[in-house]
Amino acid sequence: MKKKNYIYKYAFTILLGLSIGVTSCDINVDPRQSIDSSSALTSPEGVDAAVNSVYARLRAVSNYGRDLLAVSDALADVGRTTSNSGRLIQENNNQPNAHFSAAFWQNSYAAINEANLILDAVELGVSGASSTQLALWEGEMKFLRALYYFDLVKAYAYIPTAIYQPGIVDEGGIPMPLEGSITSDIAFNRNSSRLTIQENYDQIVTDLNQAITALGTANRGGTQYASVGAAQGLLARVLLYRGDWQGAVTASTAALASQTGTVLEGMSYVDGWRATIHPEAMFEVRFQIAAEAIGVNESLQTTFTALLSLGNKNSQGGWGDFIPNQTVLNFFGLAPLQLAEPANDNNNWDVTRNDDVRAFLYTTGNTARGTRNIECIKFLSKAGFVYGDNVPVIRKSEMHLIRAEANYHLGNVGAALTELNDFKELRGLDAVTLTGEAVLEEILLERFKEFAFEGHRFFDLKRYGRGLVKTYLGPNNNVPFDDFRIIPQIPQREVDGNPNLNQNRGY
Amino acid sequence: MRKILLLGLAFLMASASVFAQGRVVTGTVTSGEDGLPIPGASVVVKGTTLGTATDLDGNFSLSVPQGSNILVFSFVGTETQEANIGNRSQVNVVLQPDVRSLEEVVVTGYGSQPKREVTGAVSSVKGDVIENLPMQSFDRALQGRAAGVQVRSSNGLPGGAVNIRIRGVGSITAGNEPLFIVDGVQLNNQGNASFTQDNPLAFLNPNDIESMEILKDAASAAIYGSQAANGVVIITTRKGKQGKARFEFNAFAGETQPMKYLDVLGGPEWYSMRRDGLIQAGVGNPQANSLNAMGILPANWQELGAEGLDAIGLGLPSYDWQREAMGSGRLQTYELNVSGGDEKTTFFISGAYNYQESSFRPVDFERGTFRTSLTHKANDRLTLETNINLSTISQNTPFGIDGSSLGSPAFSSSTVLPHNAIYNEDGSFNTTIRGVLNQNIVLVNEYNSGTTNTNAIVGNVAANYKILDNLTYRGLAGIDYRMITENRYRDPRTPDGQGVRGRATAANDWRTRFITTHTLNWNKTYNNVHNLTGLFGVEFNSEVRQGLNGESIGFPTFQFRYIDSGATPQFVGGFWTGYKRQSLFASANYNYKEKYLFTATARYDGSSRFGANTQYGVFPSVRAGWNVAMEDFLKDSDKITDLKLRASWGRSGNDQIGNFAARGLYGAGGNYSGNAGIRPTSLANLDLGWETNQTINLGVDFGFFNNRVTGSVDVFDQRTKDLILNQPILWTNGFGTIANNVGELMNKGIEFEVSTVNIDKGGFQWRTSFNFTYIRNEVVSLYDGLDALPANPGIAVGQSVGNPPFPGSQAPGSHFLAEYAGVNPATGRPMWFDANGNRTYQPIASDRTYFGSNLAPYYGGLSNTFKYKGFEFTAFFTYEYGAVVSDGQYGFIREAGTRLALNTLTEIVDRQWTTPGDMTDIPRNVGNSNGGNEIRSQGRNFGTAALLNADFIRLAQLQLGYTFSSSTIRNLGLTRARVYANAMNLWTYADYPGYDPEFTGTGTGQVPITKSYQVGIQLGF
Repeated sequence: MKKKNYIYKYAFTILLGLSIGVTSCDINVDPRQSIDSSSALTSPEGVDAAVNSVYARLRAVSNYGRDLLAVSDALADVGRTTSNSGRLIQENNNQPNAHFSAAFWQNSYAAINEANLILDAVELGVSGASSTQLALWEGEMKFLRALYYFDLVKAYAYIPTAIYQPGIVDEGGIPMPLEGSITSDIAFNRNSSRLTIQENYDQIVTDLNQAITALGTANRGGTQYASVGAAQGLLARVLLYRGDWQGAVTASTAALASQTGTVLEGMSYVDGWRATIHPEAMFEVRFQIAAEAIGVNESLQTTFTALLSLGNKNSQGGWGDFIPNQTVLNFFGLAPLQLAEPANDNNNWDVTRNDDVRAFLYTTGNTARGTRNIECIKFLSKAGFVYGDNVPVIRKSEMHLIRAEANYHLGNVGAALTELNDFKELRGLDAVTLTGEAVLEEILLERFKEFAFEGHRFFDLKRYGRGLVKTYLGPNNNVPFDDFRIIPQIPQREVDGNPNLNQNRGY
Repeated sequence: MRKILLLGLAFLMASASVFAQGRVVTGTVTSGEDGLPIPGASVVVKGTTLGTATDLDGNFSLSVPQGSNILVFSFVGTETQEANIGNRSQVNVVLQPDVRSLEEVVVTGYGSQPKREVTGAVSSVKGDVIENLPMQSFDRALQGRAAGVQVRSSNGLPGGAVNIRIRGVGSITAGNEPLFIVDGVQLNNQGNASFTQDNPLAFLNPNDIESMEILKDAASAAIYGSQAANGVVIITTRKGKQGKARFEFNAFAGETQPMKYLDVLGGPEWYSMRRDGLIQAGVGNPQANSLNAMGILPANWQELGAEGLDAIGLGLPSYDWQREAMGSGRLQTYELNVSGGDEKTTFFISGAYNYQESSFRPVDFERGTFRTSLTHKANDRLTLETNINLSTISQNTPFGIDGSSLGSPAFSSSTVLPHNAIYNEDGSFNTTIRGVLNQNIVLVNEYNSGTTNTNAIVGNVAANYKILDNLTYRGLAGIDYRMITENRYRDPRTPDGQGVRGRATAANDWRTRFITTHTLNWNKTYNNVHNLTGLFGVEFNSEVRQGLNGESIGFPTFQFRYIDSGATPQFVGGFWTGYKRQSLFASANYNYKEKYLFTATARYDGSSRFGANTQYGVFPSVRAGWNVAMEDFLKDSDKITDLKLRASWGRSGNDQIGNFAARGLYGAGGNYSGNAGIRPTSLANLDLGWETNQTINLGVDFGFFNNRVTGSVDVFDQRTKDLILNQPILWTNGFGTIANNVGELMNKGIEFEVSTVNIDKGGFQWRTSFNFTYIRNEVVSLYDGLDALPANPGIAVGQSVGNPPFPGSQAPGSHFLAEYAGVNPATGRPMWFDANGNRTYQPIASDRTYFGSNLAPYYGGLSNTFKYKGFEFTAFFTYEYGAVVSDGQYGFIREAGTRLALNTLTEIVDRQWTTPGDMTDIPRNVGNSNGGNEIRSQGRNFGTAALLNADFIRLAQLQLGYTFSSSTIRNLGLTRARVYANAMNLWTYADYPGYDPEFTGTGTGQVPITKSYQVGIQLGF
């Protein structure tokens, strides 16, 4: 009995002790699938991982996953829609608000904020990081920040070479925060206003020049990452948009001299579009695994073609929502061509083609979703899985066309024409003999042919202040340059929440 | 079985008498209630451990030592009686029912109180009221039983989610789930199963419940601090009682049935509906187009002509997919429990098996539970106790919990085109199903499989130590452990599994919650009039939840059904989450002669969920009461037996937010080029704190005419302040939203409970209890002076926030829509009212106004019980009024096959506009021309057109029972025998065209709730 009492007292003491022990302990619980923002960028491994996310945001549908290529071209005069899934019809008809989406703004600024946070961390120093690593991060983040800001400003504002002045206050460029936001203080209180377009371009050029310097000391190789060549290529394009012709010549020459990317000719150019990694790419957005593919509804493949693969045209693939218009068909002499019987076998169909090797980037689709159309097959399961093709952002060929155009504006019309004719030869075309303004028109036409379904046309028209001629869709489908629909609406929630942000005209 | 038990019983008694010595006293113990002998009553010589129990005839025989003259007689539910035997050797005792112990104690926070001293709004539901009902979890059984407690089944999945709201909806984004406490272990009712709904509260066999107390006002609940804002439900489980072992055996079995089959069209009717619609719309070849829509246009249709095609269409067969896919299901329950004990140790042990099928085979619920409860008095000061509940549950899962999946029987059985045969002539499944729903759901149901298994342990150990006579320490440690294991297989012979050659998914989810509570209780009475009690406590809680899941595709054959057999892994996943909470609390009670009552409580809570600056919060409360009936001027009144006025104010908190909602985090995301990425996922809000609920409650408890009429009335004004809302952040600042404490919500209402004994004469008794609740739920303010949330304008100042369907989901808001104006009698086109009250075909956004929400402002229950000579008859009704719901399933059906080739109700076709002058609410049918809608018009279900009133009165329970008199069954060795027949949800009064007005969520493809019949038997020995 005595022993028992002892046990009870012992148990009682334990319970009492437990009560004091547990209640005085720390109640913080840390998540195990996330880490605190304050510690995320304090190690080289953390920064490496954060850098990946900034690249990965380029894959979004709203950015290079689809919209910067397909919505651009739908807005422009490149093609028409099939109504197979109903997508891009409104964009193609230039209906108000059918434009680059709010998600484009949201995703781009999220990426920019991540880049800003990394740049802030690099400036403060990352313990354990070598100077090479610091330079690499700075170079890559400044390149990407420049790319995101350039994509935003070319969409949401006029382009310096053709700023439309409606006689009212110029809405200007875009907000351009350069400091990372990770505290509720900045998140709640920073109401960034629109800079002038000039200021936007200045900053983009500054970032690219600093990226070139930094990447000169460290880069990873592989066109899925930023490199000196990629930065020079992007700089050439930015300077062309800005009307800095001499700068554009210098930058495009440097880009062409770089080891990044190869300009292809003849059928090897066509084969380039079948390769997982496009040999011409100076910078390409990487879709590494099937899980990253965008899927049957919104990928570039499904948007442009109903085919699943070229091997068997009868296999049901995507929707094939957006197809070339007659202008593009005429560029390459494209018309349906039946190869054999029976007619209902899609494999018995192809297209007629002219001498332009780029004609091989088009063929007939299938009847799985409706009518058999002539479709662009630049994006067709190149990576070995469907709906997830790598997307070239800058191809080296563009450098020739940039330099030719810039030389034209510098008055070096002869040099411009020579470069253009050399380029035409690469695509299987005869040289042309032209003078004066016709040279510029031929360069722009060549850009149209070269970059159809790659999202350049809309901005080429915009930077020359040209309207959209779309009578092929209907008598009322033209959009003159002074129409507000040239510029998309800034997401209304951003305007509502930010007293310093002016909405674009017309919205 | 019975013989063995009787033998055991005999042995027990024999062993008791072996030790008997001295002079022998004999006698009989009878009940003062019915005059019958009481078997198993305890007879003890006072001041010793010598004792015995009465036999089946109530007789006892006991050796009483010299010098001991007093015997103590006791029995469960009776007053203990002492008898001075003097020199007698024969003593007969009548034990009177213990009214006080049966009726008057109410469990409150960390203790219990005599009912007359309760000053908060507390409802109590006794276990016997919900005994032997075919319900898997006790929360379901609370429907209609207590004022201020609204209960809805989310759907008809047995053991599925139950929507329980105590005094309205107090939060928009944080949870609205009450705190459940079983045996001192705090639980929630959030299910974590992926493939079906599981209800964590199903771990407890409802028959193991002694009583349920619902703390409704913030003052009563405030002692539970940050978890108490949505009310507290305290479950007291059955414990052992002193006396010889008493066995109880329960069994019932029966059948579940669908409440209703929808009266949908047959093949020819669907054909003519589509054909006539196309004729209305002026579409060419209506006959051919209709047959084409049904997938049966013959190749030579042009030769056949309209008449030939009509002959085909009107000669189509009809198949009843609902009666094939739905039907009756079995239900059964077996249970055995035994309780008893001596002066030192008491025990209660029970085991039960429960099985129930839904109306959609093979969806079911199967459970085994085991419960043991032990109390041991180690010495005069120390009492030890433990309660352990073990349960294992197995559920066959539905195709989906909800949604319009083509393969879902709950969605497709009423919407598939009726001319499709289910079986081929040779008895095999027909696999060519025409129309947009192109899957044979009977086949899909047959071949797919999925199970969700849950194993749970909820238990505690506790020690009570009397430090002083008026100071007691209690320490409790409890655990709530739950492991869910799930497997699902999409068979390669079904359309969803065909393309990938089978798809298997597996998921595990386990949760461990630990709680320890330590309290000191003190009481003292001064001058016999000042009664003081005090309570001080500390508590610590922690929860960890983690899971693993995976999926693979590409199976060799359909016989291989586990993920390991798949050729290609699709994903692997996992997660970990957790929180901790620690608390200090105290309460003090003072009363003067039990007339004037005062209570104050306070709790200091810290939770890992909140921001660093607001991790701790204080939750105080005060209550006061006045027992008017004890005043001299009423003391002798025979009309007013009880009358108590109550007033309380309290503040409680709501911490049902994400475990890491306040943290600024980087999470995994944005892998690139084969390398892992991380990105900011949330913005830190160091000030994110509790939503607080402040309630003023005024109440009256009354008892009239010697307590033949008892009840209470409460009015309350409950304000949720610091409402957590997701406030938008500029995208240019890198984030989308941040959770912040802004806004205020109000729940104002009145509750009324009354119980009456209408007749009690000549053995005939008629009792009624009725309760009624009205609650006005309304947003008081949002952030930045907004009148409505930009992301959901249904959440607006002055409007109800609606009822969140499942634990963890957000309040849906009120219906904010353009008002439907019916059909233009001249043309059959649907019309709506614009902002100026004019009719329009194309209402715009600014024409929208508010049309109530899915949260019913009025609800309650009514129970009538009749007893006569062992017979008893119970009819229990529940009702709800004022909820307006959008029922997705009905929405599809109301389209009348226009937008998509789906089946519809006969009633809708009968009601639709056909000729000028028709006054109706169903627009003319235009077939599928222009997407099924009029040109330049909104769709036919737009605005309020398809909203439904979900009012109902339901005969939730009808029971007829007969209890055999003890004299009859005594010879069989039984102490109790009862047989009964029971029907649940037998009858519903509702003007509701869908399956049933009681559901939560979208309503699309949900298994509707069922009715059931069963017969049962209860034996005691």
